[in-house]
Amino acid sequence: MEGVLDRVGDPTDESLAARAVAGDESAFETLVTRYQSRIYRLARRITGHDGDAQDALQETFMQVYRKMASFRGDSRFSTWLYRVATNTALMQRRSRGRRPAESLEAFTARFDDEGRHAEEAAVLAVPCHIEQTLDRKALGEKVRSAVDRLPDLYREAFILRDLDELETARVAEILDLEPATVRQRVHRARVLLRGYLASLAEARP
Amino acid sequence: MTHNVACASGVELLMDYLEGVLPADLKADVDEHVTACERCTAFIASYRETPRIVREATEFELPKELGDSLMAFLRAKRGPPRG
Repeated sequence: MEGVLDRVGDPTDESLAARAVAGDESAFETLVTRYQSRIYRLARRITGHDGDAQDALQETFMQVYRKMASFRGDSRFSTWLYRVATNTALMQRRSRGRRPAESLEAFTARFDDEGRHAEEAAVLAVPCHIEQTLDRKALGEKVRSAVDRLPDLYREAFILRDLDELETARVAEILDLEPATVRQRVHRARVLLRGYLASLAEARP
Repeated sequence: MTHNVACASGVELLMDYLEGVLPADLKADVDEHVTACERCTAFIASYRETPRIVREATEFELPKELGDSLMAFLRAKRGPPRG
């Protein structure tokens, strides 16, 4: 049946959502099972804290359960779910009131007076080799901290677009932004994180 | 129309350039600049690698016990089956 099964023969999200609205608890649980890992990872990246991510995960699916009847199918179910999850994780992050010590703004790209890159090509390429410079554990800790220190405005767009690898148009839908605004925010985040990775290599003795 | 693309203005266009949403004439100007500029070539390579490096460094697996407790939590909150 068109629209009920996906390409590999599993029920589509939308058909499961319709069954859940009609009272089919197993359909709701199938959706939870299908998305719980992705939503946990998203919440963990947005909140920067495991306990907050766990709370956000529970709250997201509770909200989805309560609001399922209001899901109209104007957008994909996963878009709606990601929107609920992003907002919930953001609220969780804000409720904790943690403020990163230092913003990443200092790591923006640098140019000379003529608009030319201030560093030589070999220096500019340094982030490409950071995984050979720092061990995996140290790099992981520093990068997680850096994502946490991104300006709020850029963080969610970057996480959804570049870490969850959603298309720009879908991120725009989730965040209720124009695609051009998403691209601008993701770009700013990439530039800052690139500069941060370069600084890690430079800081090596 | 030709645009005077320097490294700084090129960087500002980079996301649109890589996503293929730049107008053709502007894209051609960026192409021309990048082809001749080894600093931009190096910058773009590291800019493109950054999301992958950050993604792989921030992979979080849902612990199995958390998945189990989530389902138990949701069942408890929902109460007995409807209908």
